[in-house]
Amino acid sequence: MAGYLNTLRKDVMRWRTSGLIDEQTASAIVLDAETHHRGGFSFGSVLAILAATLVGAAILLLVAANWEAIPRLARVAMIFVVILAGYAGGALFMRRGQSAFAEGLWLIAAVAFGAGIALVGQMYHLSGDEADALLVWCGGTALAAAALRSGPLTAGAVLLAGAWMLYLTLESGRDIPLLYPLVAAGIWLVSIWTASIVARHLTLLSLMLFAGLAFIEFEALWIAILLAAVSAAVFAFAAFLPATADRLSGMGGGLAVQGLLGFIAGMSIVQFDLYEGSYFLLVAIVVFAAIVAALLAEGRENRALRWLAYAGFIYQLGFVYTMLLGSMLGTSGFFLAAGLSLALLAWLIGRIEKRIAAERPRRAEEGA
Amino acid sequence: MRMHARYLLPIAVVVALAQIGVLASMIMDRAAILRDGREVVLEVLPVDPRDLLRGDYVRLTYNISSIPAEMFAGADSAESGIVYVRLKPGEGGIWQPIAARFGQPLAAAPAPDEVDIRGTTYTRDLENVRIVGVDYGIERFYVPEGEGRPIEENLRERTFRMAVAVGQDGTAQIKAFFDGETLIYREPLY
Repeated sequence: MAGYLNTLRKDVMRWRTSGLIDEQTASAIVLDAETHHRGGFSFGSVLAILAATLVGAAILLLVAANWEAIPRLARVAMIFVVILAGYAGGALFMRRGQSAFAEGLWLIAAVAFGAGIALVGQMYHLSGDEADALLVWCGGTALAAAALRSGPLTAGAVLLAGAWMLYLTLESGRDIPLLYPLVAAGIWLVSIWTASIVARHLTLLSLMLFAGLAFIEFEALWIAILLAAVSAAVFAFAAFLPATADRLSGMGGGLAVQGLLGFIAGMSIVQFDLYEGSYFLLVAIVVFAAIVAALLAEGRENRALRWLAYAGFIYQLGFVYTMLLGSMLGTSGFFLAAGLSLALLAWLIGRIEKRIAAERPRRAEEGA
Repeated sequence: MRMHARYLLPIAVVVALAQIGVLASMIMDRAAILRDGREVVLEVLPVDPRDLLRGDYVRLTYNISSIPAEMFAGADSAESGIVYVRLKPGEGGIWQPIAARFGQPLAAAPAPDEVDIRGTTYTRDLENVRIVGVDYGIERFYVPEGEGRPIEENLRERTFRMAVAVGQDGTAQIKAFFDGETLIYREPLY
């Protein structure tokens, strides 16, 4: 979050020049922000995670290559050594305060566990057990994440759980795992203990994917409506009880973004399902209204939500035009309509932004 | 957090040992089936060539991969997708299916020369079905990178046989691969 520090430095400089604060306060504020602004984005930890991912992929491929120059028991032993050295070495780095290396080593160890499962499958020529293998890998990674309080491992566990769900659903003849929300809830609990916000975002995204796949599997519209309704409730909770929502989820403005995203996803499924019926336009009006409402409720403070609302608005516009009028109007008619709509869109967005800009000083005065 | 930091190394070692334990127990299970399981010999059937080689394993089907629907006993629900098939040695030492059941092993205990093997099926309903396709978890034969093609060619030209170990619970495990009468691969215990 170097962006935040830069903005703050500029603001402090302006306050200093305008005489709002003195030099001492100015440097104290910047120093405080620099020392306390931990977490967030750090090139060191990002590069360490990327490096760990590469080493992990190398281990997986080495196993996959089934290279006979190394006897298979030696390969098993190698995997065991990487697991032990990765977890223990990571713990030593963590104790010395080098968390980037620690998380990287833990990630390599967790990947080596998955490589070990694959190696056993290869040694004994197992087939048809990929879903079970992914679930065991996910369980082992979640256990390691909880025991070591590791955020990256928690995120890894979410990805593996999602892969398991996707594998079961897409493999022909298998059914979507209806227990997935329970698995997601379990990983959410781990993410509270490991303070991993990324894992929570990924969990919510995977639940949306689950709802979409469940809709395809059962062809039941109520699943999409449920997704939209729950997402709307989550949004309302995040927008109107922000303090409680942040205390419970720790996701700040991110929770409202997920709520809007889930709502748009759920309503899109409803629209795809109803596009030939007379309800289509009604649903589209609901979605347009909801996006504008979301923008007015939360867009003032939440930049990510603002962008999502714009994107959702444009997507809706394209959707409605292609579905409803595309077949009736000729190409030129479509271009004209799209042009006018975009002008309307620009005018609307301009109005909203002006309102946001106009309200800021007023709110500041109210606060003073 | 300070408490947690002090115990981090022992915790990490416990996590590592737990994961190593999981892997070791998987290996032990398989070795136990190889060591103690009943051995049955199956015929490896020619596979649709397009589906034969995927990545670095050869896909195999067996003479017991398709079970006639009339072989199934009773009216058990097929929802679980689990199938038990009773095998008996037939002509030329190749074991053949004699009965099958969805969900649980057949009611009567197998005779001394019979073995129950467990598999999974995508069939969920026997109505209008003449053949039930069953997978036993032995449908892949992993080979070193790049060595799959020659095996695939040979499979189309000659008859191959597979010796399979079957555990107490019906789990199947590839044990030895024969080209005609010649042994070309024997699975080591570990």
